[in-house]
Order: sequence, then C-alpha cells, then structure tokens
Amino acid sequence: MISDYLAVIFVFILAAGFAGLLLVLTHLVGPRIKDKIKLSPYESGVDPVAPTHTRLNIRYFIVALVFIVFDIEIVFLYPWAVVFRDFIAQSPFILYEMLFFLVVLLFGYVYVWRKGVFEWE
Amino acid sequence: MTNIQSLIYFLPELILVVFVLVIILVDVFHSGRGRNRCIWLLSLAALIFTGLFLLIQNIPTESIFFGALAVDPYSQFFKWIFLLATAVIYIVSPSSRELEGQPKHEYYLFMLIVVFGMFLMASALDLIIVYLSIEIVSIGSFILAGFLKQDRFSNESSLKYVIYGALSSGVMLYGLSLLFGIAGSTNIFEIQAALANIPARAQVVLLGALLLILTGFGYKITMVPYHFWTPDVYQGAPTTITAYLSVAPKAAGFALALRVLGIVFGVNPDLNLTDWLPIEGLQFGTVMAVFSAATMTVGNVIAVQQSSVKRLLAYSSIAHAGYMLMAVTILNSQAFSAIMFYLAVYLFMNLGAFLVAIYIHNHYGYDEIDDWKGLGFQVPVVSVAMGVFLFGLTGLPPTAGFVGKVYLFSVLIEARQFWWLIILGVLNSVISLYYYMRILKAMFLEGEPTGKTISDHSPLTATILVLVLPVLLFGIYWSPLISFVRSSLEFFTQGFQP
Repeated sequence: MISDYLAVIFVFILAAGFAGLLLVLTHLVGPRIKDKIKLSPYESGVDPVAPTHTRLNIRYFIVALVFIVFDIEIVFLYPWAVVFRDFIAQSPFILYEMLFFLVVLLFGYVYVWRKGVFEWE
Repeated sequence: MTNIQSLIYFLPELILVVFVLVIILVDVFHSGRGRNRCIWLLSLAALIFTGLFLLIQNIPTESIFFGALAVDPYSQFFKWIFLLATAVIYIVSPSSRELEGQPKHEYYLFMLIVVFGMFLMASALDLIIVYLSIEIVSIGSFILAGFLKQDRFSNESSLKYVIYGALSSGVMLYGLSLLFGIAGSTNIFEIQAALANIPARAQVVLLGALLLILTGFGYKITMVPYHFWTPDVYQGAPTTITAYLSVAPKAAGFALALRVLGIVFGVNPDLNLTDWLPIEGLQFGTVMAVFSAATMTVGNVIAVQQSSVKRLLAYSSIAHAGYMLMAVTILNSQAFSAIMFYLAVYLFMNLGAFLVAIYIHNHYGYDEIDDWKGLGFQVPVVSVAMGVFLFGLTGLPPTAGFVGKVYLFSVLIEARQFWWLIILGVLNSVISLYYYMRILKAMFLEGEPTGKTISDHSPLTATILVLVLPVLLFGIYWSPLISFVRSSLEFFTQGFQP
C-alpha cells in the first residue's frame, strides 16, 4: 500500500531538491549588490515599514466590483463561443441563454452607471 | 430534465429574478418622491406573483436542470414558509421607526434576492447549488444586517456576519470538496449511491467531510459552536431584519441540511429514511445529540442573563435550533416532519415576539427588559399578544409551541434512544420558562398603571394580532398542518431521474 504513494514522495523530493538547488546556485553564482532598497523585504513595491492605520480609497473596492461585472462576462463568453457552432445547429436556445445572461449583467452595468460610479471627480 | 424543459418549473424563481431586475431599474431611474412606496409595492407584488405561481404549479417531484434542483412537495413547503416570513416583514417595515428616513429601496431589493437564494437552498440537489445558494442568502443578509449605515452597532453586526460567514462557508467548501473527492459526483443521489461501496479506509475522510460540511449548515441554523455571530448580529441589525434572519434563513438552513444530510448520510431502505449511516462504527446520531444538547443549553443558560430584549430573543432562537436538532439525532421521516412542523409554528411565534419588540421600540424607544415595566397597562392588547407568543416559545399548552415540542420529543421517545437528551430538553424548557416569564413579569406585574393607554391602527398592530391566531389555532387544531407536513415529505427520498 505504501508503494502506491512512492510516486508522490518522489515528486516531493524532486520539488524540494529543485528549489534547494536554485537557492544554492543563486547564492554561489549571483551578483551581490547590498543597498538599502535591495535589502528591504519585498512587498510589491510598497514601503514595508509604514503606519498601518491608513485609509484606502473606497474606489479601489468599487473598481474591483465593477471589474467583476466584465470579468465574469468574458470568462463565461469564451467557452460559450467555443461550442457555439455545434449547438446552434440543434437549437437557437444557446443564443437566448447567453442573451439573457448579458441582459442581467447589463442591468448591473446600468445600475453602477446611474449610481455615479464612473464619475471620478 | 433538460434546461429548456426545466424553465417552466423554474417560473417562481424566474419571476423573482425579473422583479429584482425591474426594481433595479426603478431604483435608478425613478428619482421622485414616491420611490420607496413604488418599490415596496413592486416587491410585495413579486411575492404575490411568486405565491400564485407556486399555487398553480403542479408539483411533479422531479429534478430540473439536469438534476441540479428539485421541484417537489418538500421544497414547496419551505417556499411557503419563506414567502410568508418575507411578506410579514414587508408589511411591517414601513411602520418601523428604526428604518424611518432611510432610503429603503435596496432593503426590499436585497430581501427579494435573499428569497431567491432560499428558494434554491430548499431545492438544492447538487453540491454546487448548495454552496451557491448559501452564498446568495448570506451576502444578501450581510448587507441587510448593516443596513443602518449611521449606526455603529449595525456596522459591527454586518462586519462580524461577513467574517463568520466567509470562514464557515470556506470550511464547508472544503468538506464538500472532500465529499466530491470520495464519491466522484456533485449530485447528492449519485453521492449516496457511490458511498455504498467506498473502501473502508475512506470512511475517516467521510467523517471529516461530514463534520466540515456541518460547519456551514451549523452557521446557518445557529448551532453551537458556530453560533457566536448570532447575538451581535441580531442585536445590531434593524429589528425587522433580526426577525427575518431568525426565521427565514434558519428555516432555509434546516431545509438544506435535512435534505443533504438525509440523502447523503442517511440509511433509506425502501425509500424510507431510518437512521444515520454508520461511519467507522460511529453512530453519528450521538454526535448530533451532543451538538443539540450544547446548542439548547448554551442558548438557554446565556439567555437568562440578558437584559436586552433583542439579545434575549437571539439566544432563545439559538435554543430553539437546539430543540429542532434534537430530532436530527434520529434522522427518520418522523423526525423530518417534526422539524418541519416546528419550523412552521416557530415562524409565527418568533416573528410575533420580534414584532412586539418593534412595536414597543416604535412607541417608547425601549430595548431593555427593565424598561418594559408596566407596559401591560399601557398597551394591553399587544402585551397579551406578547404573552401568547412567549407561552408558545416556552412550549406551554394551548399554544402551537406545545404541540411542536411534543412532536420533537416524541421522535426520540418512539425511537427509544437518547433518554438523557430528552431529560435535558425538558430541563431546558424549564430554564426558558424563567426568562420568557421575566419579560411578562416586567410587563404585567411590575410598574404602575398610568391610566394612559396607547392604541394605534398601524399595519404593525394588525400583523401582530393576525400572528396570534395561528399560534393559538395550531395549538388546538393542528391536524391540517401536520398532514400538510407529512404530505410534503411523501416523495422525499425517491431518487430523481436526472
């Protein structure tokens, strides 16, 4: 039974070995430039030491939410477009289905528009 | 059934969706004065139309959308509960002083979306729908709980609700994925078939999956130890929403939990549920008995110490979840009918008690029990109604609460199991008598008669009085309700043709 898992153990060893090898290699071969920015922890380009009680603009969240409206649309439209030709031959239902989905999303779009989400200043 | 054929059976839900879209349009394009009223009417119309379609819909006991959703008497029963609870809240919301001056269009809108989610919860046959429907209900409830934007307690309740909700649905999702991993399907009937011949070493995983899934369900039905959000959310949310959350999403949680647990983890020879599936030699009923005992004891014991009426009712609603879980220990169709019966009468009693709290808050602004002294002299009719609701919640005859509790206890007695749980249940009812009567004592036995009585003819008062009727009626003549419940369960375990 334990032999069933040998492959998994092998993958673990391989992964750990590869990561370890890369660490050792960069340590040996890589150039070393020690300045202040280089030595600071990496935090997506943001200063790692800063007051934590800052306020974030609410627009970040609104933009993220509006992005979802379009994002989901694309995620769903893409596979739909791939199978569209096969299904439309049988019945036009696939077309109405997507139209319904887009109309529902359109309502969301109209809602955020009228609520003034796109007015930046 | 294929997607196109399914649409006709999905009409009640589709009507809700169409009304939601129309309300969004009205919300953004109607900026005149009567906007709140217009949206209120539209939302009420949505409920009425949905109810009409539920009435004329013949119930085929079939699964629609390729086995994702059930259309059966069981889901129909719960849909009526949801519609009724929502309609009551819609009717009283315009007379709530707490909500006065708030733009209420989104309030009604989100309640409609929650109703849609609960409809899906009651008819989910697929793990993906299970998750999605819980999320639809939860996200709507988060927003509703934080509806009073200027009120810090309301903000707090919303935030706590979001954090607990996100955590518990994450844990539940992990459990669902384990279940999918073992059984190889997301359809609960296919899972049930696959579980019959899983290897013995997968049993532990199955047990883990069950416990993880219970986190999500337990959060929705306020089962201890997943109840921590309840008092804070119930206290901070607008009282109308508290009343709603304590009844409708809880009933939806039970509907979903009973169906998924009953079909996936129940033994049902000859399409008749009998008991829990033994996992690793463990009778899961024992675990549920511990959960139930903890839920009712924690709910009742902490309720005793509360001074705020809303918090007291919040803990009492935890305790009631405990009573209902008592029947889940057996998991046969008798237990199902007892829980459904109790949920139906609990709807009237609990909504009634919360509406009285809204009424008192409207007229006096009181939230503490100590402030309620002498209210029995000032608002006699409403106070007597409160007495009926509290008697019902305690489970005293001749109210429907008594009958409901008898059915719950009889499940255990007839199964001749868990005698300790029965004794604990009775003891807990005695504890609950103490704190419910504390409210009545303050209202009737303390304080001075001022001679000044208040009477108004708002829809709120009328609704309170209407809710008294079923509490008393089903306490004396409950056979129509129990036969409706039993007929709703008829085809429950029958495998649906995908």
